[in-house]
Amino acid sequence: MVEKQTTGHHVDRSICAWFWHQYNHHRNNDQMSVVTSPTHYLFPLIRHGIIFLACTQLELPPLLPIEFLSRFADILSDYLCAGSGAGATLNEDIVKDNFVIVYEVLDEMMDNGFPLTTEPNLLKDIVLPPNLVTKVLHAVTGNSSPSVGPTLPHAAASTVPWRSTHPKTTTNEVYVNLVEQLDASVNRDGNLRRCQVYGEIQVNSSLPGFPDLTLSFTNPSLLNDVRFHPCVRFRPWESSQVLSFVPPDGHFKLMTYRVKELKKIPIYVKPQLTSDSGNCRISALVGVRNDPGKTIDSIIVEFQLPPCITSADLTSNHGTVDILADKTCRWSIGQIPKDKLPSLSGNLVLEPGLDRLHVAPTFQVRFKIMGIAMSGLQIDKLDVKNMPANPYKGFRAQTQAGDYEFRS
Amino acid sequence: MAPPVSTPKSASPSQPSGKSEVTDLKLQLRHLAGSRAPGADDAKRDLFKRVISCMTVGIDVSPAFSEMVMCSATSDVVLKKMCYLYVGNYARCNPDLALLTINFLQKDCHDQDPTIRGLALRSLCSLRVQNLVEYLVAPLAAGLKDHSSYVRTVAAIGVLKLYHISATMCHDSDFPAALKALMLSDPDAQVVANCLYSLLEIWTQDAANSDEAAREIEALYGKSIIYYLLNRIKDFSEWAQCLVLDLVSKYIPSDNNEIFDMMNLLEDRLQHANGAVVLATIKVFLHLTMSMTDVHQQVYERIKAPLLTLVGAGSPEQSYAVLCHLHLLVMRAPMLFSSDYKHFYCQFSDPSYVKKLKLEMLTAIANESNTYEIVTELCEYAGNVDVPIAQESIRAVGKIALQQYDVNAIVDRLLQFLEMEKDYVTAETLVLVKDLLRKYPQWSHDCIAVVGNISSNSIQEPKAKAALIWMLGEYSQDMMDAPYVLESLVENWEEEHSPEVRLHLLTAVMKCFFKRAPETQKALGAALAAGLADNNQDVHDRALFYYRLLQYDVAVAERVVNPPKQAVSVFADTQSSEIKDRIFDEFNSLSVVYQKPSYLFTDKEHRGPFEFSEDLSNLAIGGDSGDDVIHSAQRYEENDKDLLLSTSDKEENGGPTHNGSSTYSAPSDVNSSTSLVSSSTTQPAAFAIDDLLGLGVLDTPVLPPPPALSLNAKPVLDPGTFQKKWGQLTVSSSQESTLSIQGVASLTAPQSLIKHMQNNSIQCIASGGQPPNYKFFFFAQKEGSSSFFLVECIVNTASAKAQIKIKADDASASDAFASLFQSALSNFGSS
Repeated sequence: MVEKQTTGHHVDRSICAWFWHQYNHHRNNDQMSVVTSPTHYLFPLIRHGIIFLACTQLELPPLLPIEFLSRFADILSDYLCAGSGAGATLNEDIVKDNFVIVYEVLDEMMDNGFPLTTEPNLLKDIVLPPNLVTKVLHAVTGNSSPSVGPTLPHAAASTVPWRSTHPKTTTNEVYVNLVEQLDASVNRDGNLRRCQVYGEIQVNSSLPGFPDLTLSFTNPSLLNDVRFHPCVRFRPWESSQVLSFVPPDGHFKLMTYRVKELKKIPIYVKPQLTSDSGNCRISALVGVRNDPGKTIDSIIVEFQLPPCITSADLTSNHGTVDILADKTCRWSIGQIPKDKLPSLSGNLVLEPGLDRLHVAPTFQVRFKIMGIAMSGLQIDKLDVKNMPANPYKGFRAQTQAGDYEFRS
Repeated sequence: MAPPVSTPKSASPSQPSGKSEVTDLKLQLRHLAGSRAPGADDAKRDLFKRVISCMTVGIDVSPAFSEMVMCSATSDVVLKKMCYLYVGNYARCNPDLALLTINFLQKDCHDQDPTIRGLALRSLCSLRVQNLVEYLVAPLAAGLKDHSSYVRTVAAIGVLKLYHISATMCHDSDFPAALKALMLSDPDAQVVANCLYSLLEIWTQDAANSDEAAREIEALYGKSIIYYLLNRIKDFSEWAQCLVLDLVSKYIPSDNNEIFDMMNLLEDRLQHANGAVVLATIKVFLHLTMSMTDVHQQVYERIKAPLLTLVGAGSPEQSYAVLCHLHLLVMRAPMLFSSDYKHFYCQFSDPSYVKKLKLEMLTAIANESNTYEIVTELCEYAGNVDVPIAQESIRAVGKIALQQYDVNAIVDRLLQFLEMEKDYVTAETLVLVKDLLRKYPQWSHDCIAVVGNISSNSIQEPKAKAALIWMLGEYSQDMMDAPYVLESLVENWEEEHSPEVRLHLLTAVMKCFFKRAPETQKALGAALAAGLADNNQDVHDRALFYYRLLQYDVAVAERVVNPPKQAVSVFADTQSSEIKDRIFDEFNSLSVVYQKPSYLFTDKEHRGPFEFSEDLSNLAIGGDSGDDVIHSAQRYEENDKDLLLSTSDKEENGGPTHNGSSTYSAPSDVNSSTSLVSSSTTQPAAFAIDDLLGLGVLDTPVLPPPPALSLNAKPVLDPGTFQKKWGQLTVSSSQESTLSIQGVASLTAPQSLIKHMQNNSIQCIASGGQPPNYKFFFFAQKEGSSSFFLVECIVNTASAKAQIKIKADDASASDAFASLFQSALSNFGSS
């Protein structure tokens, strides 16, 4: 299924067929993020099984189309999935059902190949998302509820383009959510090869009027590199490391940051593989190393069985072990029990003719820790100015595993 | 995800039902067209939705065009939007019907609601129908003056659309000037950005033909406009910021204070959430500080953190593009990331294209301090499930070894690879060990001990096999069973499919023979016999050559086949620094991703402001590799025809002309300049011999003295005949020669060399190019005969090299002429 947008020069649809052919051809080995076709340069971006493709014949900054496509993908899923319940991801059917919305959004986001409006809040003023409310309204009143806003956003003329001047909020609250992603890799000797944290501060604000917020940290020196939402004022950060901003309405990413090398990881896996005469004994232990002080949830260990293995027999003393169709072995542990260490053991049978296992699978771990940011970053306080009443302020923190891997 | 429907008319499974559906839709639409019933809009909306989804999946719904237009007279915004979409899609194929829509679109352009005004204007401009252009002008002019900024943004882009349909109409209505005024005065940043975008495109395309447009472009890069834009940069949307930053990167500030001011202003852009803005800012910084070495270094330090974040935090697509840029930076400043090597460790979940680049990065940043760590990491990848990546990482280890850091440890690691007993690892490692030994012969003992244990049967990869055979031959004195291994390989000659391996085998047996004659004699005989019977020409020739060499004198054969070797210091496959510099100039563009300057891959028509002569690209490709030679030769041919055609045209016009894009100019005085030719015809020959001795020509030490060749001092050849001859004849001699320093110095314009060659009785028929590359076509005639020599000569003044291709009527004399030509060339500047 292909969405299309023609700007400036006409781009023939056959380019999609060409790309599709290439894509299937290269699926398994090498898929470049910039593809040269005989006539165009293509930027494919793959999200949830939907391919977004940009074509160009001109020289241009490569990040421009890539960023635009990922923005478009985000906005589209924001639009289309919000109505169909939480946790839904973009898929073919949703796109099919909402062609019109897709076209309308794309139309506003891009004009003649030049990005136009990409701020989600603004877009939603122009093109209304197909949410439950409008659906219900439509059903009840039988009234035509246009998916197009009746008036233009006034924000276009305001000094802060990300905030419409008349946000229609009834509540008076702001939530700050610290989400961190922990990347780590440990080599086969059990040494930590690298470990770092990418974090983002998500804010969900529903404040009336024109609020001015200041967020400060107890230990901002931890941060190695930061990137801000356009609403953040740069000077206060430079002088005293506080975030001063006028928030957009609703959900947005205030800041993303990277924290310097960490020395500690919360959880470890000790894989062991010994093979001889066509068999391979495998065992893996999971344990907590530096107790973060909160429970570690939804632990899942995954590894790819090498293609040379014909059958595998794996058991564990805690949790369940599944072998998926693509030869991925998934060991769902959940929480680590107090009394014992979860362990996995089993036997792998190698292909006939192979004596020893030559490849070493990588064990990937996923987990979630609520209530703590592993980097140690802490929010000091959030001041709200320019407000008639004191709003409710909520804070949360969460760490989850990113690329968290153990090599064997 | 289903495969896309390639064309609307292809036989898609939905086609049969599609057709009846279209007629069905048509009927229903017609029915609703005039209806003013309360529910009509809703019904229409459903119908329109169906039409649009048919259109999207590729069913041709254009037959319903007139019905759709009839239904479009509505006040419902959604319906309008869908209708605009439909009209925009099909107007091009139905230009007559499109006229129907003009009316309601024009009406909508005066609607009260700015959204509708904007939408209608955008749809109107997107029709792209040639004969409707006249209807565009008035709404556009009104749109540019609209009080709603939304309509103005649409109008600004609309002007560009108009320009693409009809450039003259756009100019006649004076839109560029209006846009410029708007750009400099509008309070809305998005309007300013769109004006800028349109103006850039319009004037850049015009610049080739109009001086005025070129001046306007200059003005855009001028101080006042740049400052105006910079001061508003925070108001712009992120995409517009990219546009402005790109413009700024081409601005040349007048003094250092200005540079620092600009950098201070832009520094916070490095922390923008949008990667494209960050990269564009980095480009500006790098370009601004190009002339200030120490600040340039500080800039590197400053941009490090944002770049590393971009690599790690973004999607794989993003990190790929950013890594390409990092690679470029590392090439220029290897120390930059040497302490951040951990960021380039591969993650299991990275796609392999990212992994590959990361490996390249690791290779590039390895130095004394981090080699151990990096190599340890790379060695872990050798056990990776992903075989291509395992191979790449072994290659990376080898490359680091060749960079001379910590070779000792690396050789040990490589030898460990050989013990892993994995075919692809062994194969890859063997090739590397071979390269290492060529560079560090002192390691031969350690390596040979391990290599000797490898069974040649287990290796299938031709490259690896060739490497093993090379080592067997080269170090046969150290490997006990080398002759016997070689012998068994020779016995299996028939089964060896790769000519490369067979060639290596021949040479290896020869080398072994000189060291351990008694043991190898039998194998050598068998190898030569098999080689002579081989149906590959190269293998056959080499066997014959060895055979005759041995017949002639064994001692001489040994000197030829197995001379004492010097360690290789630098391998020749690294990219030229000139290309790298050019790519660096195009930072934040696709050039970096492709690792090629843009002139090598963009079409000429799309090249925009960066105009490079076609010659240059040919040169670069020609020097690249064997595969490209044929291709580039063809391009040469085409190119040459162009060149000659243009010169013959100019001959008719008379007088030297310069037309913008073509940089070639024919010397107007080909025939009239004979007064300059020196009368001596014997002198050139004397030169040739002198020079031969003086130069001591490298590749052919025993060249027979050339027969004296004298040239006609006043040959006559018209361009048409030249072109015909050039097309008919084959290249009889192709050489490269070096210019003297004085020669390079005096080659400021093509004319100087042309005069010089005329003094040597060699006439120029066409010349062209820009520094540092010039291209010449010469011809000369043999004294007292009608045979001509035609020469194509490409001079690069930067490297002081000239590539010469000679075609001759009389091929036997072409060598003599070639040396004559070379001596004349090398004399250039000294007289």
